[in-house]
Amino acid sequence: RYVRQLQRLQLLFSPTAADARGARQFVEEAAQDFARQHPDVVLYVSPHSGPGPAPVLRAEYLNGTVREELIASKTSEEIVQLATKLANQSGLDIVRIRKPFHTDNPSVQGQWHPLTNKPSILTIQGPRLQPQ
Amino acid sequence: LLLRAARPLLAGAGRGTGLGTGLGTALSTAPPREKKRWLRAYLELQRLQAPPQRRSEKPNWDYHAEIQAFSHRVQENFSLDLLKTAFVNPCYIESEEARRRQLGLDKEAVALQLQDNAGLAERGLRFARAYLAQCFEGAYPELPAKGIEALVNFLTSQELVSYVAQNLSIQDLTLCRDFPAPPDVLQRTFLAVIGALLESSGPERAGIFVRDFFIPQLIGKDLFEIWEVVNPMGLLLEELTKRNISAPEPRITRQLGVSTVLPVYFVGLYCDKKILAEGPGETLLAAEEEAARVALRKLYGYTENRRPWDYSKPKQGLAAEKAISSN
Repeated sequence: RYVRQLQRLQLLFSPTAADARGARQFVEEAAQDFARQHPDVVLYVSPHSGPGPAPVLRAEYLNGTVREELIASKTSEEIVQLATKLANQSGLDIVRIRKPFHTDNPSVQGQWHPLTNKPSILTIQGPRLQPQ
Repeated sequence: LLLRAARPLLAGAGRGTGLGTGLGTALSTAPPREKKRWLRAYLELQRLQAPPQRRSEKPNWDYHAEIQAFSHRVQENFSLDLLKTAFVNPCYIESEEARRRQLGLDKEAVALQLQDNAGLAERGLRFARAYLAQCFEGAYPELPAKGIEALVNFLTSQELVSYVAQNLSIQDLTLCRDFPAPPDVLQRTFLAVIGALLESSGPERAGIFVRDFFIPQLIGKDLFEIWEVVNPMGLLLEELTKRNISAPEPRITRQLGVSTVLPVYFVGLYCDKKILAEGPGETLLAAEEEAARVALRKLYGYTENRRPWDYSKPKQGLAAEKAISSN
């Protein structure tokens, strides 16, 4: 069954800073809807008063990876899109995929080895039958 | 730190000008004093060298919300009290009581009102084993009891269950004495979760849960990786006598590089002049043993090209038998 890999989202922002305006709007308008649509993600909203670090959205996944995304000067809709993107990701590292193909069954009839299609020692080669 | 360098710099500049211009303004509204620049590297080193902490001890943690999210993530309806008891381990209760006794509380305050997960774990383990054994008996009817037991033991073994539990974030939710939680604690907790599901939703849903999380761990595994068979030839002879087929006759089918360091022999097993199985090996004995293993795989129906596991709706008969056997 499908298990969403995102465990929790922490929204760290400041209630007075100018670039956290989108984050504040998100908390006021869209955070509850987001939390209702994703009941398996725990959303923590923690405003830290006074000037502090930039507003950040921290995502923790089931395999332990923690991803932080800056949400400074982003609108509320952009934050919603970012949050849904994080919710649909798995926690695997985002690295360049070396090949765009992969298969678990590289061979259907069995991989060729030098002895396929060679008759075994036990086959007796008789004289060829002439067509009647 | 690099990401957030912009803000502290701004704050520092603001504070400098503020202090310079308004000397009489109230000091209570000033931002908290920042750490000096030369201290930051040392504090960063301290942060990196700090011992790992439980997630519950870090900021932003709500146990009730996390448990609800867990039940939604697994798409099961749990009764939350049972689930909370499932995460409580005996070592946690002992350590908590010892800590309270050390702090000098009375006897009544020392005794925790929490229940153990030992009972739930035992019930979960019994149910999981019985269900998996039934599944395998249905899917591979030719497999003998020892093979089924080996498969079930592998699926309920510590490493596998603790691996599944880790990837479902059970290690964050367990209450136990040591951190990081040892694998037997994780195994016990996961089995207790299965027991809690059994009590809340009944054997059918619990059976689907066990099927969805344990059986995919068999993908890509060979039968004889899981089941240690010492004498495959003897086992094969027993199986053939049960089916009234004569003893197999081993013959060399192909051979390559006989006089080299790496010879390859293909030995075929023939019963009444008809081929049963063929297996490769470095020496003739190894090839014969491998041929016996291939023959056993074919007889038990556990080849690599068998039909994949059927994850469609559970069969009705299973549920009824389950209910009868658990009662």
